[in-house]
Parts: sequence; structure tokens; C-alpha cells
Amino acid sequence: MNTSLKSPLRLSKPVNWGRLGTYVVLLVFAVVYAGPLLMLVNTSLKTLPEFMKNATALATGLNFKNFVDAWNKANFPRYLTNSLIYTLSATLVYIITAVFVAFPISRRYVKGAGALLTLFVVALFLPPALIPQFQLMLRLGLYNNPVGYIMLFLVNPIGIVILVNFIKTIPKELDEAAALDGCGYFRFVTSVIFPLIQPAVATVAVLHAIGIWNELILPTIYLTNKNYYPITRGMIVFQGVYGSNWPTLAAAVLIMTFPMLVLFLFLQRYIISGLTQGSVKG
Amino acid sequence: MSYHFGRGREKLIPYLLLLPGIFFYLLISVGPSLATTVYSFTDATGIRGAPIHWIGLDNYKEFLLMGQASRDNYGALGRTLIFSFFVTTIQFALGLIAALAVNQRLKGSNLFRTLYFMPVILGAVIQGLIWSLFLYPMGGPMAKILSLFGARSEFLGGQPVEAFAWVIIVQIWANMGMTMVIFISGLQTIPAELYEAARIDGANARQVFANVTWPLLTPSVNTNLLLNIIGSLQAWQLFLVLLGYRNGTQVLGYVIYAQGFGQTSGSVTSAFRQGYAAAASVVLFLLVLVIGMTVQTFLRRREERILGS
Repeated sequence: MNTSLKSPLRLSKPVNWGRLGTYVVLLVFAVVYAGPLLMLVNTSLKTLPEFMKNATALATGLNFKNFVDAWNKANFPRYLTNSLIYTLSATLVYIITAVFVAFPISRRYVKGAGALLTLFVVALFLPPALIPQFQLMLRLGLYNNPVGYIMLFLVNPIGIVILVNFIKTIPKELDEAAALDGCGYFRFVTSVIFPLIQPAVATVAVLHAIGIWNELILPTIYLTNKNYYPITRGMIVFQGVYGSNWPTLAAAVLIMTFPMLVLFLFLQRYIISGLTQGSVKG
Repeated sequence: MSYHFGRGREKLIPYLLLLPGIFFYLLISVGPSLATTVYSFTDATGIRGAPIHWIGLDNYKEFLLMGQASRDNYGALGRTLIFSFFVTTIQFALGLIAALAVNQRLKGSNLFRTLYFMPVILGAVIQGLIWSLFLYPMGGPMAKILSLFGARSEFLGGQPVEAFAWVIIVQIWANMGMTMVIFISGLQTIPAELYEAARIDGANARQVFANVTWPLLTPSVNTNLLLNIIGSLQAWQLFLVLLGYRNGTQVLGYVIYAQGFGQTSGSVTSAFRQGYAAAASVVLFLLVLVIGMTVQTFLRRREERILGS
């Protein structure tokens, strides 16, 4: 925090213990975080006998057979497609509905806007909805039904709060000017507001998508047909069958990790800003 | 706020477009949340078409007062508190240390931050499987590290207490990045002039931390404590992935799930005791509420003392 504030009088530069100490701390954490990940990558490149003989020895070559095995044995194409469909469709519908909820609340174009916003903030403290939600889906005939499963993800209160706050930064004069030019409400929100709030939309969409992709409990509860399983559920099934074959299992885990990892590395900024924003506001 | 987009009936358009979002929110989230209390007084099973009867406080009596089952429940309750205590305090401390280190803006800081944060986005399944491998008892990395010190462990397959401790460690590993990131955003709001002034006054590193950083970090301290406490009281997914439903390790969240939906293996169709599970949900909710409110009150008083009201 103060490395830039160098004293002009200091001529020789002594060892900077503070900086050294910081690097030590950073490296210790790095080992704890990278270690398990490296073990995963290393294991995925080994054969089963190699792994049995010495679990931690370095892989002797790039053995990609595990990935082929995992891909073929685990029904991964199906699981990945399902996860992709659930994630994309639920995120898309959620974002559209969320913008139309957040905009009028932020602008107070609807009565009781403040109360509505409170309703979304309070959600963080409500008891888990698991049981009645299940009863509801059962009664609606949406149990073990992909459409019903997607419906469960059309809700994300933190996303609404983030959008409301972001829309506040867009000048209200814009609404007036657009209305004077004869622009209707629907067209204004879709073609003027929506492009302007892209950063917030990206944050909310990515956070929501990650949540759906990683969800394990809901598919366990709601989906019994193997053809409907998302990748998380498929992974647990795969673990049940190939649990002792760590090289193949590790390859499977990496296949599942890959899409999220790419998404994260490219959109890191949005993800982190969104999480901190949401949590501080909530 | 005046509405510019037309008058009369056209004023209803925003309401109309707002409706789908609110509808889903009430239907899927708020409604069921509130209905949990109602279900906790019934014998609902979760089997389609089965009749539901009002049974008053029976679920609560059974959960809290009846024989071995209630003793197990108190065990789960105690473990939930222990889990929450260790996760909250250790994750808080490590998150703060990591944030302070990353925030020094040394070369490679961003890389380190990315690395520490990564588990947060990987989700419980991957977090759990990565650690199952790392804790592989027959010559896995952690087994080798322990053997350097002449120690050995059965890890996740060992005594319940031991397995439970490892879940705490994985939980902290998985979520420390989140705590760190919130601390970093707090650190970045502290004006650089304050550090400069402290330096001119000849304050050493410890004094700077105690008198500038720590008090001004109060908002992130509050956020992190509350999020960690509430989050860890409700967390149980890693138990599912790492241990399964094992006696002597369950926390309350897992008990609710197991009672309501049977065991994890999916094909189980035995009677699901959803009314009972709803009662357990209410107990967990009250626990979260009481602890959350108490901590919140304490934090608010502290904040007023430090930053003025």
C-alpha cells in the first residue's frame, strides 16, 4: 500500500522485509490453492496402474486416453448439453424479466417501488423454500420435467438489487427526451436502457449462470430421468461408478471444470465486481 | 416520479411488464419460503396425491423431544454451530491476511487473487472431488505430507470427528476467496492520504493497521462476518459430496434434505417425511435468525462506536 511513497532522502535500498514477507504469504496461499488443482491435472494424465503404484508421482507423458474414456463412458455429451440448455435458457428468461422488474422499481414508475425492492432484499433471510417448493412442483406436474426444472432458476433477488442500483446511475432526462421523441416504454427499455446497462447485465447473467451450472441439490431432488441430468448430477453418478478409477474421474472433473474456467478467466472482472457489489448492498 | 411514456391506460404498461418477474419470484421463492411454516404442522410426504393432515406440533415434539432421534438432532445442531464457528473465524482471518497481501500490489498480485478466488466459481461438486483426490488415503499428496511428520490419517473415511474437520478445511478453502475479495474492495475505499499522514506521523506498520486499516475496514468486516455466519449455518453441500449421509457428521441442513428427500442415491423412493423436514427447516431458520440478529446488533454498536453514527 505504500511502496509508491519512497522517501527521496533514502539513497541505498535496504532489503524490504515487508515485501519479502508479503511474497511468502502469497506463496504459501498459492501452494494451498494450486496444489489440489495440480494434483487433479497430474492424475488425469496418468494410467490407473501408474496411479496405484504412486499416486503423487509426476505423469510420465501426456496420456489423454482418460479424457476419451470419461467422455465416452460418462454420457458427458448428454449431460453437458442439458447443463447448457438449462443454464442458457433460464439465464436468458431471467435477465429479460429482471430488467423489466428492476427498471420501473429504480425509476419509481410503479406504485410501491420501495416495498418491492425490500421484498427482494428480504429474500436473503427467508427460510429455505425446499419442501413447499417441491410440493408445488409436484402438484403442477412439473416434477422430473426439464421445463419445471428451468422454472426454478427464474429467480435471483441479488441480481435485481444489482440492476436497480446500476439503473440509478443513468440520467432520468433520457427517459423524458425519448418520450418526447415518441418512443414507447417497451422500446425504450429494450433499445435504450438495455444497451446502457450492459456491464450490470453481464455481471448478473454470469453470476446467475454459474449458480445454475454448479447446482447439485435441485437436480438431485427434481430430476430422476437420467436423460435430464445436468453435468453436476451426472458427475456424482459417474463418481459412484468409477469412484476408484481416479485417473478417469480426474479427467471427467477437468472436462466439467473447463467451461467454467474459461468463462471465469475472461469475465473475472464482472464476476468479482458483481459478487462484492451484491454482498455489500444486500 | 412522473411517468413520461404516455397517459391513461398506457401507464399500466410498466406494471404489465413487471408482472412475470414478480410472479415467478412469489411463486418459486417467497411463497414456498413462507409456506414452510405451514407444512411444518403437517404430515406431508412428498408422494403425489397422498393426503396431508394437520398434526399440530407433533413434528416439533418429535424433532426436539423424542428419544434417540432427537438426541441425533441435537448432535446435528451442535455440529452446525461448531462448523459455523470454525468456518467463520478461520475464513475471516485467512481472507483478511490474503486481502492485505494481495492489496500490496506487488508483481503478480492479480494472478494470486485469481488463483485464490477460483474455487468459488467451481461449485461444490468440483471442490469436493478435487479434495477427495487430494486426500486420497493411499499415498495421496496430503497423506505424504502427513507422513513427513510421522502422522497419518484416514481423512474422509476416518473417525466422524476427523472427517468432519476435513470438511471444515475444504469449506474454508472453497470460500476464502469470496471473503478476500470483499476485504479487497473495502481496502480500496480507504483514502491513500490517510496512509500518507500516518507515515508522516511516524507510525509503524502495526500502528497503521490498528489505527487506519482496521477501523476503516468496518463495513467489509460486518459484511463478511454476517455472510460467513449465515452461509456456514446453512451450508451442507460439501458434506454430501465428501462424506455422504454419515452418522456423527451431519449438520442440520443435511438432516433437512435427507428427511425430506431421502438419501443421496437418487433411486430411493421410501416415504419422504416432508412435514418433519419442514419443521427442521424452521428450527434452522430460527437459529440463523437469532444468531444473525445478535451478531448484527453487536456489529452495529461496534460500528457506531468506531465510525460514529
